Amino acid sequence: MFKALSDPTRRRVLQLLRQRPMSAGELAEHFPVSKPTMSAHFSVLAGAGLIEAEKTGRTITYRLKMSVLEDALLGFAHTLGWGKKAREGGGSAAGNSGQKLRTVKKEV
Amino acid sequence: MAAKRMANYVASGLLGLSAALAAANWYLKPERAAAWATALGLLACMTVAFLLVLRRSQDESDGRSSDDSVRSGVAWAGLILAVSLAGKLASTLGASYGADLQERVMMAILGACIVFTGNMIPKTLTRLPALEEDAARVQALRRFAGWTWVLTGLAFAISWLALPVELSERLSFVLLPGGMLIIAAQMIRMRRTRQRAT
Repeated sequence: MFKALSDPTRRRVLQLLRQRPMSAGELAEHFPVSKPTMSAHFSVLAGAGLIEAEKTGRTITYRLKMSVLEDALLGFAHTLGWGKKAREGGGSAAGNSGQKLRTVKKEV
Repeated sequence: MAAKRMANYVASGLLGLSAALAAANWYLKPERAAAWATALGLLACMTVAFLLVLRRSQDESDGRSSDDSVRSGVAWAGLILAVSLAGKLASTLGASYGADLQERVMMAILGACIVFTGNMIPKTLTRLPALEEDAARVQALRRFAGWTWVLTGLAFAISWLALPVELSERLSFVLLPGGMLIIAAQMIRMRRTRQRAT
């Protein structure tokens, strides 16, 4: 869970989902990153049990599945700016995996 | 999975401990047999419910949230019974501690149970098609209810640990109904806002 909350992009996703459940496309519009990178972020958050994906037809809708304690930790993480240094120094794990995927695609 | 296994161990351990304490109390104070028999009957019912949940979760790989509720309910009830029976046993054996200590500990555990329940409220999800356009409102209400219940439980537990017993008793009558009223009022307010919007 701490790994999931340590990335500013993932924290922003959680903050957006506080407003209402959103589709993957709606969420991706808020970030200047590729879809594979966003998918990697979503899977980290879902793996930590902080969000839940629900498929309706061809649309995947994500929504919050955070306990009060996790919600409070998100607030702390946002206030204290966890993981900002890591991002400034070369991006998050999910971001790196997305970049690697793009590089492989270009090579192909 | 590891957390569930841990919860199973804790729940079964507390059930076993409570049964042993009830039996010891019965042995030392046979004149109160009815009370100990009631406690053991209650423990038997909880054990049956717990075993049914264990059997179902072995059959199905995907755990149900209702199973988790039963598991945590059994663990909390087992803890409250164990503390109460241990206090009775200690006083029978002649241990001397403050008269209100047991009441304080019991109420603090009850407060912790309220915090635990409130903490899990926002994690309870209903399938999106069943909510239609109300998904955002339901999510907001569950978050609000969770936070209110957690803060109520914390205030309840802290008041029983830190304040004089008489004051804590009075405060309990304000805190618990107060928390429920705040959640109900928010629910009504959200429903009215929705009706105005449509």
